[in-house]
Amino acid sequence: MATKDNDPAEMWRTMLGEMEKGFNTFATQTMTSPEFSKVMNQAGGVAAGAQKQLGDMMEKYLVSMNLPSRTQLVNMAERLQAIEGQLSEIKALLYQVHHNSGASDDRFASTPKPPRTRRPPSTEGGSK
Amino acid sequence: MNATSALDFTSVPERIQSEVQRAIQRSIKGVEYIASSGPMPGATPKDIILSRGTMMLYHYRPVADELYRIPILIVMATTNRGYILDLAPGQSLIEFLIKRGYDVYMLDWNAPKPEEKNLRMEDYVLGFIPECVRAVQKDSGETDVNIIGYCAGGMLSTLYASLFPDGPLKNLVCFTTPIDFRQMTLFQNFSDRRYFDVDRLVDSVGNVPAEMIVTSFDMLRPAARAVGQVQLWENIWNDEYVKSYRMMDKWGADTLPLAGEYFRQMTKDLMWDNKIYNDTMSLGGRKADLANIKVPILHAVAEHDHIVPYEAAKHLIAKVGSSDKQEIILKGGHVSLVAGANAVKRLWPKLDSWLGERSV
Repeated sequence: MATKDNDPAEMWRTMLGEMEKGFNTFATQTMTSPEFSKVMNQAGGVAAGAQKQLGDMMEKYLVSMNLPSRTQLVNMAERLQAIEGQLSEIKALLYQVHHNSGASDDRFASTPKPPRTRRPPSTEGGSK
Repeated sequence: MNATSALDFTSVPERIQSEVQRAIQRSIKGVEYIASSGPMPGATPKDIILSRGTMMLYHYRPVADELYRIPILIVMATTNRGYILDLAPGQSLIEFLIKRGYDVYMLDWNAPKPEEKNLRMEDYVLGFIPECVRAVQKDSGETDVNIIGYCAGGMLSTLYASLFPDGPLKNLVCFTTPIDFRQMTLFQNFSDRRYFDVDRLVDSVGNVPAEMIVTSFDMLRPAARAVGQVQLWENIWNDEYVKSYRMMDKWGADTLPLAGEYFRQMTKDLMWDNKIYNDTMSLGGRKADLANIKVPILHAVAEHDHIVPYEAAKHLIAKVGSSDKQEIILKGGHVSLVAGANAVKRLWPKLDSWLGERSV
């Protein structure tokens, strides 16, 4: 019967784990060098510039094709997020109104809060 | 012994049958995986107590017949959503705490809006946290409050505790909280002041995009994502594995942008000048000295934390002025410390035991 030591699937998983560890260790050693930081930050600056130029071109192209651009979609997502935010604010206000007025139309609001009398199990001989 | 010679060929037919069955299951489940939207974490019933911009305060509905006297305010890390602590029934720290009789609130974060790009650490430590503490006091009717802070949430909570030593904080729990930023070696190198122009970045983007935060986390373990995909395919026949993978993957991808000024301040004051460790941190003109913290404190750290290594976190307990202080080092990583099957067995019972006797 196959055991952990002779199971090919288990061997594959172990090998994968070791490969991951080895690669991560190697990458970590590489990334802790000052040269890496220099190259990464320089490349990041160049890439950001190139990405901006490409983005501007794509924007014009999509507008000419009568298609929504990334900026427009991001704006739409931000508007959705703003609506979600406003809904949360309304829910928070509603909660406060219920809480302050003691209104009983909400199922939970009508439930009395449990008493704050709980003791840890150790002080009760493990009864809880 | 040679691995090949150790193979037991009598079990080969069984293995082939098992692998064929799994391959069939993989094909079926693989289609299901692509077609379905995945589990919905964060389902423990809750009410929104406060919501303003990036700040969101929840109250989880109690389920126990009796509550501990002191409510808990959980302060989430600013880069991530709080539902990591409420993944699914049986895997939710929140569910565990409310079942154990704690009254739980959470300060969670929305993505900061463009007009919130000027938020600074002062806004978080002297504004959001005290405002939420007051809301918890009002909602619970209790004066005392316990705080649990996770990662950067722990750092903000620690700064809050140092600046409000007269209360109402009663007990402080931190999970994987960085203090010595020199020891976060990869982040240190990514943000090397000789090459990283944080002013240019923040001035041009406003809020720092989530993609950049995700990339920097991914770079700490560059092989992890690819290996994770291979492991997913291998285990795609296993519903529990897939569910857990999807929840973690969703959470990882749901990283939040950071307010620009907050990021600039983190880079300059913490990554470059290491001000918390050097006892030179000031917020709003007030010195945030960890020695001012006198409340009981528990710090849970992970043995294999690749984001906040132990060397970066270990100074918290040494620096606080509390006489009742404890550090626990547990097996696991930055996330598996607080969420997942291992956290259920390791951290949660210890947290309950420590907090329970101090929450009456």
